[in-house]
Amino acid sequence: MRIAVHLASRLASALLVLLLVALATFVVFYLVPADPAQASCGRPCTPQSLALARDFMGFDKPWWQQLPEFLVGIVAGRTFGSGATSITCDAPCFGYSFQQNTDVLTLLGDRLPVTASVAIGAAVLWLLAGIGTGVVAALKRGTAWDRIALATSVFGVSAPVYLVGLLGILLFGFTLDVVPVGGYVAFTTSPVDWAWRLVLPWCVLAFAHAAVYARVTRTQMLDTLGEDYIRTARAKGLTETKVVGKHALRNVLLPVVTIFGVDLGSLLGGAVITERVFGLPGVGSLMIDAAYGRDLPLLLGCTLFAAFLIVLANTLVDLCYGALDPRARLS
Amino acid sequence: MTTSRPLGAVAVATAITLVLAACGANDQPATQAGSDKAERGGTLRILSDGQTLNYDPAKSSNLAITSLALVHRRLTGWLNKPGEQTKVVPDLADTGKTTDGGKTWTFKLQDGLKFSDGSPITSADVKWGIERSFAPAFSGGLGYHKQLLEGGGDYRGPFEGAELKSIETPDNTTITFHLARPYGDWPWVVSTPAFAPVPKGKGAEPDYGEHPVASGPYQITKYQKGVEAHLTRNTNWSTDKDQVRAGLPDEVVFQLGQDASVISQRLAADSGDDKFAFGSSFVSPAQLAQLSSNPSAKSRVVTSKSGALAYLSLNTTKAPFDNLKVRQAIQYAVDRTSFQIASAGNADLAGAVATTLITEGIEGREKFDLYPTQPAGEPEKAKKLLAEAGFPNGITGLDFLVQQGNNFPEKAQSLQASLAKAGIQATIRTVDGDSYQTETTGEKADYSLTLSSWQPDFPSANSNIQPLFASSEIGNGGYNVSRYRNPEVDKAIEEAQATVDPVEAGKKWAALDKKILGDAPIVPLIYTRNSFLHGSKVANFFIADFPAYPNYLQVGLTK
Repeated sequence: MRIAVHLASRLASALLVLLLVALATFVVFYLVPADPAQASCGRPCTPQSLALARDFMGFDKPWWQQLPEFLVGIVAGRTFGSGATSITCDAPCFGYSFQQNTDVLTLLGDRLPVTASVAIGAAVLWLLAGIGTGVVAALKRGTAWDRIALATSVFGVSAPVYLVGLLGILLFGFTLDVVPVGGYVAFTTSPVDWAWRLVLPWCVLAFAHAAVYARVTRTQMLDTLGEDYIRTARAKGLTETKVVGKHALRNVLLPVVTIFGVDLGSLLGGAVITERVFGLPGVGSLMIDAAYGRDLPLLLGCTLFAAFLIVLANTLVDLCYGALDPRARLS
Repeated sequence: MTTSRPLGAVAVATAITLVLAACGANDQPATQAGSDKAERGGTLRILSDGQTLNYDPAKSSNLAITSLALVHRRLTGWLNKPGEQTKVVPDLADTGKTTDGGKTWTFKLQDGLKFSDGSPITSADVKWGIERSFAPAFSGGLGYHKQLLEGGGDYRGPFEGAELKSIETPDNTTITFHLARPYGDWPWVVSTPAFAPVPKGKGAEPDYGEHPVASGPYQITKYQKGVEAHLTRNTNWSTDKDQVRAGLPDEVVFQLGQDASVISQRLAADSGDDKFAFGSSFVSPAQLAQLSSNPSAKSRVVTSKSGALAYLSLNTTKAPFDNLKVRQAIQYAVDRTSFQIASAGNADLAGAVATTLITEGIEGREKFDLYPTQPAGEPEKAKKLLAEAGFPNGITGLDFLVQQGNNFPEKAQSLQASLAKAGIQATIRTVDGDSYQTETTGEKADYSLTLSSWQPDFPSANSNIQPLFASSEIGNGGYNVSRYRNPEVDKAIEEAQATVDPVEAGKKWAALDKKILGDAPIVPLIYTRNSFLHGSKVANFFIADFPAYPNYLQVGLTK
């Protein structure tokens, strides 16, 4: 019962967050002088043609009327225009991109496999590399290994992904010619090609993210190794592998899981820069295009989608806490 | 609001100049690269940083020589070559005839034209395509025809059952247009995308542009947003019936969503399929600097001779720019050399100093300079004019509106510094593109100066001048950013637009060019240049005098 109440309250707060994000996005777009219909007005854009474009797209109404229409569309679907050229967006309708001639949900669905491929592959790499490096650095504190790990992680944290991506392409793609420089092949088409084309984006993203994990893991591991219960475990005669792997690492993972949830959620919402550099048609590329093209429905959909993933990731992190730390369990 | 940083601009510009100079980038850029003969066959690849391609003629503002024209023909086409003025030539139809001084135009389609589905292309299909562009669902393309066709203002497209009576199709190969007023450039207007045929009754679906019925040498066989568009031969197209398209490659593949820097690196590396590719986006000055150390890549850079007019607009409705002498003073105060450096590192890459409104490659262009001055400006002469205008101590408090991106803030800083030398103090206000568009084309204009550029939509001086200087284009989304209003000029514009003979019209536009610049509502700065890069197996890749883009329709490959 207590768990059900907890889940219901989490769900309600998640929905509230998403509603607030939708509200904020609408308000932001109406505060800045951007007119999504302008992009579909043509040239020359007369007041008459602009009014027609606004009317067709539903942008002729104030935002406090558009927002309820958007929300109703999620459960009931929407129709834009009338007659033979009307556009139907079936429920759940998260908006319709007039520039891409497709409903937002379909666009997100088409792009998600690419972003998920990039994000999950990179996440596996950065978790292994980050936690591994952090543990080694903590265990070899003060040695050359520790210093090399720290220096590398400082570079990883500081260097922009855009720069690392371009350097990676230049070095591994053009100079050494060992990996492809871009493009995407679906997993279902060829798993080998899929992985081969994603190797460089995975490595670049992992390099940038692993640095943070290495530093957090190292600090947390050093703190944990000084705890009384670790001393007790050693005094009981447990092997160092068991002390570190079973007792210390479990404690270290708590902050790592917290960061990982947010990182993965954000990345699934669009690895904007990485996708752009490597020409990957994911949610991030879609979002950039929406922002440049003043495609409000698409931008709203992308923003809500990213917010949804972050909320979901936070909820999952909460649930993981219970599994990792008995003190965090509800009963 | 962003404060100005003139020293930063100078530092950046100087650094770019040094890099370019060190790399030998000051060599004169070429408008055509390579001498190998283009052969028939092969797969041409076009690398694009855009995520989508719009092949719906009603929603397109594509030039008549780029991607849309590979699939769609229009009533007329453009013939453009380096060193020559761009000419209107027959495409689906002849170049039109008028019997009443430009108010009624009749075009005769060629016999035996076919769509990619094998059905004949008739005048009714052309009419349907034009009518379709009036439907609110398909707005977004070039729409010069919408206000010119009689009854066009109230027409809402053919899908509601009504037809536009001002377009007549007495037989399958004849189409007649009745305009609301005489318009000499109508043969140019019918070269815009909306004049591509759409099979009558088709094209109601919003994604028609992803699977259109082709009339050009290629048809879309596969289109994946953000990934690629695959064009294969339209077997019903014949080179004998098309004088503007060579149709050389067997296939054309657009690779979409590519990063501009990576495109440049790939083409410079020139390996594999990239040998048969070119980039559809400009090569930036920074990329040009990198390429200049690579002789092979450098030889494959093609730069336009001229291009869009970059200009400084003076808000003529706001003091002190409501005073002609002040506006004339600005003409002398501006340092175009530092503007060129801030634009692209050096004069050759940035483009030549501009002194006219009509750009190169356009009928009627006459070279003149009403304000002859050193490229670096003459601040003392400007000060003298300011004193005569009643500002002996200079001018302060000018609001200089600038949009973000495309190096605009740096370019504005170079102008700000040169104005300061003449005692004119301007504060730069940087805004995003949307805000810029809203303020400059809206009703309320608080700015004193702003930086803009303009390239005509079709190669007529009309398209150089009318959108920027007719009083009808002030506010309401119009591009008369200097808010210039002169009833004599308005009348002369209408007269020039109504002149059918291109040579005669050209003379009228040239006179207008001088007349408007005499009023000095803008300061012409440079004719900007665009650079493009292609692979080593791409042939016949050239940029004519107009427009400043490669002619996709003539590109071929070598083996």
